[in-house]
Amino acid sequence: MLSLGPLAFVAPWALGAVTFLPALWWLLKVTPPSPRTVRFPAVRLLFGLEAREDSAARTPWWVLALRLALALAIILAVAHPLVHPAQPLARAGEPLAVAVDDGWASARDWAERKAYLDEMLARAERADRPVVLITTAPPADGSPLTSSGLVPAARARALVQALEPKPWAVDRAAAARMVAALPRERSMAAVWLADGLDAGDGEDFARALQSLGGGLEIVTGRTARALLPPDPASPADRLLVTLRRLAGTDDPERVAVRALDAAGKVLGREEVMVAPGQDTATIALRLPTELRNRLTRLDIEGERGAASTVLLDERWRRRPVGLAGGGDPAAAPLLGQLYYVDKALAPHAELHHGEVSELLGRPLAVMVLADLPAVPGSTGERLEAWVRNGGVLVRFAGPALAHAASEARGGAPDPLLPVRPRAGGRSLGGAMSWTAPQGLAPFPESSPFAGLPVPTDVTVAAQVLAEPAIELNERTWARLADGTPLVTGVRLGKGWTVLVHTTANAEWSTLALSGLFPDMLRRLVALADGIAAPGGGDAALPPAELLDGLGRLTAPSGAAATLSDPARAVPGPRNPPGFYGDGAARLAFNLGPRVGTPSGLGAPSGATETRLGERAREIDLRPALLAIALVLAVVDLLAALALRGLLGRRGAAACLALLVAFGIAPSGRAAEADAFAMEAALSTRLAYVRTGDTAVDAKSKAGLAALSRLLAERSTAALAEPMAVSVETDPVLFFPLLYWPVTPGQAPPSAKAAEKLNDYMRRGGLIVFDAADGTEAALPALTAGLAVPPLAPVDEEHVLTRSFYLLKELPGRTAGAPVWVAAADATGTNDGVSPVVVGAADWAGAWAADERGRPLHAVAPGGERQRELAYRFGVNLVMYALTGNYKADQVHLPAIMERLGR
Amino acid sequence: MKEGQAQALAARLPPLLVAAERVAATVAGGIHGRRRTGPGESFWQYRPTQPGDPATAIDWRQSARSDRLFTRETEWSAAQTVWLWRDPSASMEWRSSRELPTKRDRAELLALALAALLLRGGERVALLSGALGPTSGGGALTRLAIAMDGEAIPPGPLPAAAGLPRHAETVLLSDFLSPLRDIDAAVRAVAAAGAVGHLVQVLDPAEESLPFRGRVRFAGLEGEGETLVRRTEDVRGAYAARLAAHRDGLAAIARAAGWTFAVHHTDQPPQAALLALHSRLSAPRAGGRAGC
Repeated sequence: MLSLGPLAFVAPWALGAVTFLPALWWLLKVTPPSPRTVRFPAVRLLFGLEAREDSAARTPWWVLALRLALALAIILAVAHPLVHPAQPLARAGEPLAVAVDDGWASARDWAERKAYLDEMLARAERADRPVVLITTAPPADGSPLTSSGLVPAARARALVQALEPKPWAVDRAAAARMVAALPRERSMAAVWLADGLDAGDGEDFARALQSLGGGLEIVTGRTARALLPPDPASPADRLLVTLRRLAGTDDPERVAVRALDAAGKVLGREEVMVAPGQDTATIALRLPTELRNRLTRLDIEGERGAASTVLLDERWRRRPVGLAGGGDPAAAPLLGQLYYVDKALAPHAELHHGEVSELLGRPLAVMVLADLPAVPGSTGERLEAWVRNGGVLVRFAGPALAHAASEARGGAPDPLLPVRPRAGGRSLGGAMSWTAPQGLAPFPESSPFAGLPVPTDVTVAAQVLAEPAIELNERTWARLADGTPLVTGVRLGKGWTVLVHTTANAEWSTLALSGLFPDMLRRLVALADGIAAPGGGDAALPPAELLDGLGRLTAPSGAAATLSDPARAVPGPRNPPGFYGDGAARLAFNLGPRVGTPSGLGAPSGATETRLGERAREIDLRPALLAIALVLAVVDLLAALALRGLLGRRGAAACLALLVAFGIAPSGRAAEADAFAMEAALSTRLAYVRTGDTAVDAKSKAGLAALSRLLAERSTAALAEPMAVSVETDPVLFFPLLYWPVTPGQAPPSAKAAEKLNDYMRRGGLIVFDAADGTEAALPALTAGLAVPPLAPVDEEHVLTRSFYLLKELPGRTAGAPVWVAAADATGTNDGVSPVVVGAADWAGAWAADERGRPLHAVAPGGERQRELAYRFGVNLVMYALTGNYKADQVHLPAIMERLGR
Repeated sequence: MKEGQAQALAARLPPLLVAAERVAATVAGGIHGRRRTGPGESFWQYRPTQPGDPATAIDWRQSARSDRLFTRETEWSAAQTVWLWRDPSASMEWRSSRELPTKRDRAELLALALAALLLRGGERVALLSGALGPTSGGGALTRLAIAMDGEAIPPGPLPAAAGLPRHAETVLLSDFLSPLRDIDAAVRAVAAAGAVGHLVQVLDPAEESLPFRGRVRFAGLEGEGETLVRRTEDVRGAYAARLAAHRDGLAAIARAAGWTFAVHHTDQPPQAALLALHSRLSAPRAGGRAGC
């Protein structure tokens, strides 16, 4: 390699050819281009006319320059010039060890790291050096760390392309062991693309790399920042988020934290300036309670990564809670019935005080009644209706309740109590009693309190007892040490009624004074949207959605295991950060609080240290030179033709147009794709899959066009002309419905196309497979790569039979074949709307009409009624695609039932 | 099409009246006056009856108005045939640029326009090559155009003048780029029959100015051979001199035969050439060269 300042040549010997340029110049000069021929009537007058014999026909200077430039461009291209060539690390052929930190801390500038690796490996490839690729984060499949072994650089490049940062920390001790196990018959240069963090084992790893004998270059980039989840008990009006960055970072940074809801919408954004030398910053996100309850995610704007993303679960939601208490309102604060409830719930919930009737006037998730006997009259009925609609009613016992219980003995039981209290209370450890105040027993597994630690210092001195009943045991959520129920609860309609058999203040027990009390209340408030299912608990939570190394939520992969102890679990391949648990009761397992305080990595002596992005990128000039040579060659050809007069004006224009078209052809293709997307997206339209069978395609087109016209006549759905799509090349996500006629000769979609179609189905698209004319046999092969859910025939209840018209049968050109949709229990996503409709009735054949609206195909067994039903099915189908299960809404059921019965 | 163009062109000029000097043998009973007394139908003048006049010639009505006798004289009506030729050879089928007509197109247009004028004036036209005999009347122009299309290329620079009556009037349109010797011989042959001719040299402007540059191989259109000119710019002057000499030679040939000679370029409007021809045919002929 020859270097001239920032320019270097890979094959400098080729530059020797430049010495031939003068020879070429002379040669071109003495061989003039052939003259152009002109036919001329008065040629007789020209015979014998010859001007003075000058240096003759010279090649025009610009042709000479053109050809010399062409030759020069080719010579330079062969010499392979590079601008800012990367310095070669060592001698050619010597093996190279490349260590990559692919833990969470590399995610911030992962793209740059990857580009650096690719460029470095390209250099290694040029130098024909074998490479050992060492990654330091444990692989996602749970297997132990392994190196790639000595592979050609091209293979290592492919491996790097597939590399992604992991959402957990690196394990350098294991990596150092792996390096120690590498074969050492030849010395090996090492490059370590480090994430800049040191967990105490960085130096050992660096030394292990140095021991390979070829020197060590440590390349560092920007280290990821960590975002700590806000304390669930942070002040009522704001979320306090802590940002932590690498200690000793000297440059000031402006950091913005975004708060997002489940749909990815940014609900809040706050900026903070982190001063030089400061390594933590606190950001206060102020959000109204309603918005705050929708948050699922906080992250740092402009940074992707697992540590810079905080997932929020129910712990951070705030629910409106109504508080109503009996007793003396003028009592001293510490004696008030609701004082402790208020203090315990205030950080987590939005609290409203007032009378029961007035509290019922506002939306509430939870109502706490402290020592209030049964609410009489209409207010009681409203309260019961509220509970049945999903409210959680938490009642605390007390003298008033105990008194009411003894009054109501033998009468109708209070429906808003889970158990029937026995008349008279029970007091323990009083002056007249031999028994000591009771402590708490561990919570039963089926209780919402399961897993809460039971403090030993809680004692209950008085309580209300429950009438023994068969169901008492399963309704008991907490007991005293002697087994008497302390908290009982039962479902009432969609809601819960809960009775705490002691007071909400310190009068009867010390429960309200303990740290258990806020936790218990929080669990009770969390019941409000039905989180704690009986049998749940914190035992082992299956992974629901997991963060990847770049901060994206993905479906759990095979290696992720259930999370058993969230408080002590360490994020790793078995427990990546993400959401764990079933359904709505999800627990957010965040990486941020578990990464500790990052400290910087120091370079060991003898290692060179460089930073990413400090060096200009290598630019290869060879492709550009070859392109220039090609263009010059074409221009030269045109010029030679023009000089000989063989090129008319029109010919020249055509050549020029060709040249221009040649140059812009790729962008033309992009423009075409753009045009397709614009056409497909600017108006709603149906689409059909181009099968390659001209007759079938024409039928699909005519059928969908006729259906679109019919929809415009009969409904407000104005659809544009249908479009043909190729599942391989065209994007399909623009279309609400994709009609796919099955033909025997159709090739199944490629893996890429299948992925695209799966994505389309997952995001709410509807694919209608029509296996008309006995082509069902081809269907399994065609859909092999697609994620088609389990299918079930359309029954009378299915939305497809009533999304616009009420239909009993769904015929097409042929009648009688069943129509299959995703089984009701198979579609958890998209509100149960089926992503596929499979039939064999040749619907397009029945819909297809010519431009005057006359049908193209006869229906079998026949009759206009069948065609009309086929059209009605088409309308229903499009309505299903456009509105989903809207018509399944129970609101319309009575009217539909009435009409069906008529 | 060319006919229509020629008609339109001719419509702008008055009917062509060929000077009646040399009518002689070609005279036929015509329909237009010769502006002198002679046999005819339209009144020309009264003159006092002189001794020897036939008594039937006396106009009695006029004579009765006075004491003297008057004789009524009529205007002499006669028609003359004009023989046309335009060069159909390959060298005429050439133009230097797309915007210009070929020399042959222009020569044909001039010939037909002249014929249209002549026919309107009651004259008769014929083709010198013998493809069409003297003709007149309504369809004459169409017949002329068709016959002209089918004309054969003569072996020499001019067609053989066989069957040409004495004292015929001829109009010859060509580029006259053949060697002067050949042209001279051909003109003499035609003039020997007593015919009077008008030579019109139709040239492309490029033949006048030789606007080419650089190294050019020039090839003839009639198999004259080719010549390579290294720098056309350098020979431009010599070429112009040669062309002028050639033209002088042509003029001299025409003068010697008592004919006229004119030059027309295809980038000039055809009206100018037609007007010049018109005036030369209608006025008593002045020999020699005229530019147009």
